[in-house]
Amino acid sequence: MKDALLNETKTQTRRKNTVQCYHCGEACDRSISADQKFFCCEGCKFVYQLLQENGLCNYYELSERPGIKVRGKFSSQRFAYLDNDEVKRKLLRFNDGNISHVNFYLPQMHCASCIWLLENLHTIDAGILFSKSDFQRKDLFIAFDPSKISLRKVVELLAFTGYEPYISLHDADKKKGRKVNRKKIFKIGVAGFCFMNIMMLSFPEYFSSGNIGNPALQKVFSYLNLVLSLPVFFYSANDFFISAWKGLRQKWLNIDAPIALAILVTFGRSIYEITSGSGAGYLDSMSGIVFFMLVGRWFQDMTYDSFSFDRDYKSYFPLGVTLLKDGNEETSTISALQSGDRILVRQNEMIPADAVVTKGQGYIDYSFVSGENTPVLKKGGELVYAGGKQLGAAIEMKVVNPVEQSYITQLWNNDVFMQQKNKDKSFIHPWSRYFTLILFLIAGGAALYWSYTDSSKIWPSVTAALIVACPCSLLLSATFTFGNMQRHFGKNKLYLKNASVIEALSKIDTIVFDKTGTLTYSAQANVLYQGDKLTNHEINMIYSLVKESIHPLSRIIKQDLIVSHPVHPLAVKDFRELAGKGLKGVVESKQLRLGSWHFITGDGFLRDPSLSGEVHISIDGVYKGYFKISNQYRDGVTEMIRTLSPKKYQLHVVSGDNDAEKRNLQSIFGAQARIMFGQSPQDKLNYINKLKNEGREVLMLGDGLNDAGALKQSDVGVAVSENTSQFTPACDAILDGRGVNKLHQFIQYARSGKKVITWSFILSILYNIVGLSFSVQALLSPLIAAILMPVSSISIVTFVTLATSFSAKNKGL
Amino acid sequence: MSVLILLIAFSILIAGGFLIAFIWAVKEGQYDDDYTPSVRMLFDDKPGSDNKSSLLPKQ
Amino acid sequence: MQALEKFQYDNKIVRNFAFATIIWGVVGMLVGLWVALLMVFPQLNFTATAGKETIGLTFGRLRPLHTNAVIFAFVGNGIFMGYYYSIQRLLKARMASDLLSKIHFWGWQLIIVAAAVTIPLGMTTGKEYAELEWPIDIAITIIWVVFGWNMFATILKRRERHLYVAIWFYIATFVTVAVLHLVNSFEFPVSLFHSYSWYAGVQDALVQWWYGHNAVAFFLTTPYLGLMYYFMPKAANRPVFSYKLSIIHFWALIFLYIWAGPHHLLYTSLPNWAQSLGVVFSFMLIFPSWGGMINGLLTLRGAWDKVREDVILKFMVVAVTAYGMATFEGPMLSLKTVNAISHFTDWTIAHVHVGGLGWNGMLTFGILYWLIPKIFKVQLFSKRLANFHFWIATLGIIFYAVPMYWAGFQQASMWKQFTDAGQLKYQFIETVTYMQPFYAIRAFGGALFLVGAIVMMYNLFMTVAKGKLEANEEAEAPALEKTYHQHAGEHWHRRWERKPIPFLIATLIVILIGGIIELVPTFLIKSNVPTIASVKPYTPLELQGRDIYRREGCYTCHSQMIRPFRSETERYGEYSKAGEFVYDHPFQWGSKRTGPDLAREGTMNLKKSDSWHFNHMEEPQAISPGTIMPAYPYLIDKELDTASTAAKIRAMRTIGVPYREGYEYAANKDLMDQARKIQDNLLKDSIRVKPNAEILAVIAYLQRLGTDIEKNKLAENKN
Repeated sequence: MKDALLNETKTQTRRKNTVQCYHCGEACDRSISADQKFFCCEGCKFVYQLLQENGLCNYYELSERPGIKVRGKFSSQRFAYLDNDEVKRKLLRFNDGNISHVNFYLPQMHCASCIWLLENLHTIDAGILFSKSDFQRKDLFIAFDPSKISLRKVVELLAFTGYEPYISLHDADKKKGRKVNRKKIFKIGVAGFCFMNIMMLSFPEYFSSGNIGNPALQKVFSYLNLVLSLPVFFYSANDFFISAWKGLRQKWLNIDAPIALAILVTFGRSIYEITSGSGAGYLDSMSGIVFFMLVGRWFQDMTYDSFSFDRDYKSYFPLGVTLLKDGNEETSTISALQSGDRILVRQNEMIPADAVVTKGQGYIDYSFVSGENTPVLKKGGELVYAGGKQLGAAIEMKVVNPVEQSYITQLWNNDVFMQQKNKDKSFIHPWSRYFTLILFLIAGGAALYWSYTDSSKIWPSVTAALIVACPCSLLLSATFTFGNMQRHFGKNKLYLKNASVIEALSKIDTIVFDKTGTLTYSAQANVLYQGDKLTNHEINMIYSLVKESIHPLSRIIKQDLIVSHPVHPLAVKDFRELAGKGLKGVVESKQLRLGSWHFITGDGFLRDPSLSGEVHISIDGVYKGYFKISNQYRDGVTEMIRTLSPKKYQLHVVSGDNDAEKRNLQSIFGAQARIMFGQSPQDKLNYINKLKNEGREVLMLGDGLNDAGALKQSDVGVAVSENTSQFTPACDAILDGRGVNKLHQFIQYARSGKKVITWSFILSILYNIVGLSFSVQALLSPLIAAILMPVSSISIVTFVTLATSFSAKNKGL
Repeated sequence: MSVLILLIAFSILIAGGFLIAFIWAVKEGQYDDDYTPSVRMLFDDKPGSDNKSSLLPKQ
Repeated sequence: MQALEKFQYDNKIVRNFAFATIIWGVVGMLVGLWVALLMVFPQLNFTATAGKETIGLTFGRLRPLHTNAVIFAFVGNGIFMGYYYSIQRLLKARMASDLLSKIHFWGWQLIIVAAAVTIPLGMTTGKEYAELEWPIDIAITIIWVVFGWNMFATILKRRERHLYVAIWFYIATFVTVAVLHLVNSFEFPVSLFHSYSWYAGVQDALVQWWYGHNAVAFFLTTPYLGLMYYFMPKAANRPVFSYKLSIIHFWALIFLYIWAGPHHLLYTSLPNWAQSLGVVFSFMLIFPSWGGMINGLLTLRGAWDKVREDVILKFMVVAVTAYGMATFEGPMLSLKTVNAISHFTDWTIAHVHVGGLGWNGMLTFGILYWLIPKIFKVQLFSKRLANFHFWIATLGIIFYAVPMYWAGFQQASMWKQFTDAGQLKYQFIETVTYMQPFYAIRAFGGALFLVGAIVMMYNLFMTVAKGKLEANEEAEAPALEKTYHQHAGEHWHRRWERKPIPFLIATLIVILIGGIIELVPTFLIKSNVPTIASVKPYTPLELQGRDIYRREGCYTCHSQMIRPFRSETERYGEYSKAGEFVYDHPFQWGSKRTGPDLAREGTMNLKKSDSWHFNHMEEPQAISPGTIMPAYPYLIDKELDTASTAAKIRAMRTIGVPYREGYEYAANKDLMDQARKIQDNLLKDSIRVKPNAEILAVIAYLQRLGTDIEKNKLAENKN
């Protein structure tokens, strides 16, 4: 996974002679340059010059084109809210006037250069005293001197260099403070240490077959063992007791119960043997078992620190807003918003609450909230739902509902978000219950038998039975199987929230897709030009025009032109962007128009180009032709759908987007598949619900906030993401876009996991039979136990590891 | 073999010492971040000082 | 309130240790080549006269010189070179005290010089890898504390909170070596340069090899792993493959290593279970060791193109591979079945040299080539020479190891072969002559390796000449954020106390308690291994003879430990019992049989006449043609130092040998009587010799060997 993050590259099909931005590596024209280096935009160039001045160009040596492009114009205004004391109080981890601490989440961190630059910030601004990054968690700790530099300035510096921190409402609610579970590590360490020493002190016993020829020494050894075993029993192993106890109190026998029992018995008998001098006890076996099981659990619980699997809308909404109080601007926190407040929303800012446009013209991109790809036009007086992004110039609005009651956040009041997905439904627990039952029967049988023949052997045989037949091997096989499988999923860019997801995944029979960003690339698209052949000059004119625009389609066309032609920009006079219509401007005294058929020709009905996906061109009123822009499906997706053909799974598509793609989709999915458009987040949730009520096991793939409910509702909710560190809604797993086409293999692999576990169970049962056969005859010597324990544990661990790796291979993962 | 007691005493002492060290290290949070240090140690301490050749396999 | 701090790294100390490494390396290897040649051309064993003192520069004296030179001088300085370079940078701090660094450097060099002088003079404790006599041992302890003090002080004032894994390896080295050294060097002084190990026989052996193994572990391995984890990523300019793995590697290694000692004593008189203990733990070592090797090699994954052009990486790759081979072979050799074959043969020699030449040697070279140009701010003088060095060194290792493995294996099988008649098939001397060609090739391999080292010396010298040392390298880093908030989100001021102090204290306590327990053995000595009634203390003359035996380093070629195999009992007589060694301070079991075992040299089937021994000492080749044993003519003229007898007796009594009170005064009389007897025996064969010639003592000792339990038998037979 580390490598996945480290080798994050910008995939772009480019012609050999297209230049790349020296800073961010994006394809660009040769118009902007500094010291023989080309840049895609002024932003990148500025950053380069900044680093240049501060002797930080090492940044470009450490890795190739590490920069992050800053989209749109850099406006310091956006960070005004960081001067708000309320905000500061919420963000700063520590502050005593002359030193402040803050932690930021920087999704953009992707290479060694990032680490290097972020830890050398102090050379750019002396006010920053110290900065330390945590690459895997994408976390940056900064200590700065508030008297020299303000929090806002710190963030602006970061944002300017392309590392804009991800500051959201979420951060404010609970201060960042990731609890590393160190207890686990302690316990493993202690257990491991004691295990090692106990083992080494027990061996003499075994190698000398119980007589090391020096009774004094023997005593020393066994008592040392006893001392060493105490921390294992009372500290390392206590989780097993606790969870067993919890289970019993709820009348439910979980796997920890028999384990706790085994540990208890082993410890008890060992104490008895040592104090009575009748034997050396089984302390090495006990501590060994505990050690291995702890390692197993730790291995299974290794989660992906850099991902957050339970983000809600809070981590999507900004922390601060600009209030308009009698004419002048002041900053406030979003949670302080009241209905009736007047707010200012600048370009590229998010609508923080349901509000009506009072001044200016809203041109709102809802793609993230609804999946609808087309920016919509909102005139004065129209209601705008929270969550949209203003693409046009700044607008003033009047809040209708504060964020908690806004339309989008309604979704989270649905009780799906209350209930935890039950983890204890794992099939391991029933197994362990039968196991325990049988175990007791055998022990009882032995006791019964001996009570007739030789009553002195009742106690030894029973205790021995409980000692060897500890179901730890069951636990081990489960933990290591799942642990290793998670690693293999991770290698293929599917990052699971926890091991229980694997089991859920193996049961799936229904798959529901979101369209935009899931089946298709959200950014890239296919561009096809139709019409009269354009001269290079005309292409340059068009290029120069779209370059000015922030409309998604313009951006797409621009990128397409760059990679397909050696473009260079020309001066554009009186450029205008007419929301929902198109662009116009004068290039080299020629009237240039791009946009809808209506906008170009005046006839036909008004239809936003985004809906038709057609952008028409006219130069000096002469119609040239049009770009046909269609969604680009992820590589291998169509093949993937075919393999998931209906006989195996039920397939559904629920998209918030318009039905422009309907025909396309139907042809890919085939007639049987249900395909729906214009679905609201709530609709999606309900749809999943419906399916589940039909008794289906549902897998949902989505990318946006609008899928959050569905993801939560489904048995397995997978959030698809271009860049695994971007925002992803609450889910059970995060899937890198590049991995979508492996969906079928993933499910197959999950299924194979259950097989592996079953086999390893059988294996462990065999060991138990061997052990029991000794114990019921009251023949279990510490030596046998000591051999059986590691042999069974290690062989099982190796078996499951190999098995899972092997099946991963032949499942093509 | 009484000398064994001596050796064991020492061995356990050393091991014990390291156990303490281990606990200290974990407590201190030394291992909270088990990746970045391996990259950090590659940097020279003087900004601007040359550190040629890419750290990462070039794409 | 911290701000950006400017400070300087001390490169001078690094340079000093680097130069020391190069010089001592060449010297040590030179001696190595010399001793290798001695086994092909025994004539090269000659005697030198220093003042009135005549000494033999024989294998027995030079081999310890070689081992000490390469381990403590070459590798030792190598460790400190890399250590001083890396720890300053890893902690972003100059060493706490330049003075301490200086003391450390010069102290260490003085110790080496002292060793280089005393060992050839025959001042040795007679314990392998711990030959240095007590005053030097004390010096070592002091210097070691200086080194440790400086390290922890620097850790305390560091500017980087995280202790990189390499530093943990250094700390482990410091702590463990300190304790090992203390325990093993526990000896009772007789005179300024003479002492007796406080432990006797089996116990001494156990302590010695507990030390011996861990010396390998914590002097030749852990510090070099630390260096690997620093210099390999640096040289390749890419992070270590898995940092997590390296952390696990460290802790696993630490918790395991300490136990592996006893496998050096398989089939000896050490209790069985103690041996097996060593076996198991040695075997388990394979896991952490290989974890480390794999981590090292995978660091270069996807950069093999770099390795092809970068000689430094080549050296490191070979080093790590050699480490992998050695750490795989080690556990194998510790398996009883394998050990039965390999032990006492040249197989062991091959094994240690794969580790020594491959792992330590090659890594040191790699580091030197990387580091010297860096601190002298120049390009390496000649890449081609460096490449030449790489290839010739690699060849050298191959030419060294392969014949030794083969020879060792043959040796073992020849020792063990029987005729159909049930007789031993080969005389021991036959096995010696058989080895000659292999020894020759080995010497050639060694020569190649040495040539490589000399080429490096030249190459680096030219590099240094071109460049100029940046004695104090500028660096800057923000001071350590005292109230640093970990993600743990603990209360900030708790961080104040969070310093390595607890650990420093812990280690000090360990060493302190260690010091106290130092006294324990004195009480322990009494309760000893099962004694055998007929085993008596050595007579004064024998005792003197034994000290000469030890002085001449006979134990480097002759074992005194008959293992319970038919092949050995047939050849050397009844296998050795723990009880036979209770008065052996120090034990002289040896670890290599270039010559035959001497445990029962004085008993029936092996017993030889006094004159045989005399002549054999005077001119071995005359008595047993083909032998490579050096001649000891000077033992004949050299007069026995009887003045020391009393002191020696007294010392022995203090450490538990039951000489009666006041015997020291009568001792010399007995000594002379016994000497005269031997003198007379020799006279019968018309050999004239002074009654106080050292040779008489040696003969007396050899004739005594193994006789004790024979007396036992005779007694039994009588009644």
